[in-house]
Amino acid sequence: MSGPAAVECRGVCKIFNQGKPNQVDALIDVDLTVEAGEFVSLIGPSGCGKSTLLRVVADLLPPSGGSIAVNGKTARQARLDFDYGMAFQQAGLFEWRKVIKNIELPMELRGWDRSKRSARSREMLELVKLPEFGDNYPWELSGGMQQRIAIARALAVDPPLLLMDEPFGALDEMTREHMQAELTRICASTHKTVVFVTHSIPEAVYLSNRVVVMSPRPGRITTVINVDLGERSEDTREDGEFFKKITEVREALRGGELGATARGIEDR
Amino acid sequence: MFAALWEAYKAFGRAVDDHVFGWRLPAHTDDASMPHISTILGSFSKAEVRGRPGIVGGAVLSGSWFTLRLAVTGLIVGFVVGMALAIIMCRFTLVRRAWLPYVVLSQTVPLIALAPLIVGWGNRLKIGSVHWQPWMSVTGMSAYLAFFPIAVGALRGLQSPKEQSLELMDSYAASWTQTLLKLRLPAAVPYLLPAVKLGAAAAVVGAIVAELSAGVSGGVGRLILDYFQKATGDPARVFTAFIGAAVLGLVVAAGVNGLELVLTRHRPKAAL
Repeated sequence: MSGPAAVECRGVCKIFNQGKPNQVDALIDVDLTVEAGEFVSLIGPSGCGKSTLLRVVADLLPPSGGSIAVNGKTARQARLDFDYGMAFQQAGLFEWRKVIKNIELPMELRGWDRSKRSARSREMLELVKLPEFGDNYPWELSGGMQQRIAIARALAVDPPLLLMDEPFGALDEMTREHMQAELTRICASTHKTVVFVTHSIPEAVYLSNRVVVMSPRPGRITTVINVDLGERSEDTREDGEFFKKITEVREALRGGELGATARGIEDR
Repeated sequence: MFAALWEAYKAFGRAVDDHVFGWRLPAHTDDASMPHISTILGSFSKAEVRGRPGIVGGAVLSGSWFTLRLAVTGLIVGFVVGMALAIIMCRFTLVRRAWLPYVVLSQTVPLIALAPLIVGWGNRLKIGSVHWQPWMSVTGMSAYLAFFPIAVGALRGLQSPKEQSLELMDSYAASWTQTLLKLRLPAAVPYLLPAVKLGAAAAVVGAIVAELSAGVSGGVGRLILDYFQKATGDPARVFTAFIGAAVLGLVVAAGVNGLELVLTRHRPKAAL
């Protein structure tokens, strides 16, 4: 691998309410390296700290211990340099802005001039295949379309890294599979590194090069499963290897802590 | 509709001499207490009292216009003060905890008690070369009533963005000011509009009451008092001033509604 890893976590801990009776060990001693160009999913039951880990990497939460490097910089510097784009479970588009102005938000904050913004946002609309919706308002779009705009917004200033927190969690199954295929296509064409938090085993297997299995109380990484399914297509979902990997991830989730795992995991 | 009810009640009261089964009606219906609508409307074209020029209608109109300007100025001052307070309270949790009780407390002081105080202070006040004018006291009290709903509504609105939206702005390393301008203020608009409506109504009431207690002449509040003193001679005249004050309130409310239409034309209907 050339250059620094996209994400490098060493002994990362995150403890909420430290020293108080309601202390929560959200993350204990997490080591994780994500190389540039990789697609890595974090999966685990509720409370395993996968969203917390994503937020620590994004420098939205300070870690209680350990070190984090993003593109060879501190997490804080990476955030200040717009090194990553983020997408959340709710598309979170600003309802008072037209779709195109939503995509332009990070460009405005970076201080791009108007013509550069407008050219780039049109390009982004093409990328997510919604070129005719630029002048609509977000609430006029379906949930899946809104999420595509949110992805366009995350990619707007061309960050090398995408951090996604269950971005398809609120979508129906059909839309969700379509969005997964779209995301695979977008990542392949833009060469992004992705860290993806999900509840869904098939989603994690379909999208990822590696699936990181986490377990709660305290939140930690239990297993890392490599997935090599070649180029993804709709046929991938029927593939024997696909189902084998799903079973492998499911067993890893159960192996961690019997009983504690079933909660919050979608087995579909 | 209102006129028909008014006349019907009056006719009923006259017919039973204000008593139903030994109970007194809540309002007297004689011509001094409830003049006929036609008499009231007729009063608009009567000559003004005490050798003042013009007719009653003209006096009511110019009085309402005078008060309208004071109330709108008060509303604008109240808006600026309310927004500033809300932004500061949103920025600093400590300030919010310290100030919010006093903001609420400020509204428990009766305007009638406060008005002479403000006038008294104002008379001794001099900002640069500008002497404090009595009308400034009226505007001040109008603003004093208007700022409260605006401050409370704006604070609520500024705090309305979801955690996720704030995280998004954080992920762009946006400064607090950028988050305020691009997220918090636009998100506050649906909360601000009803607050401004309340503030507008309060500003009108504040201006009218303040005129009375500050002894400022020229407004519709003063007119009500003037006409009351002549009420025995011409009761219908008082009601012309009432109508003026009511129309004044409607004009301000219509102004705010117009503002609302402009500001919400691109918002989803469900969010409002």
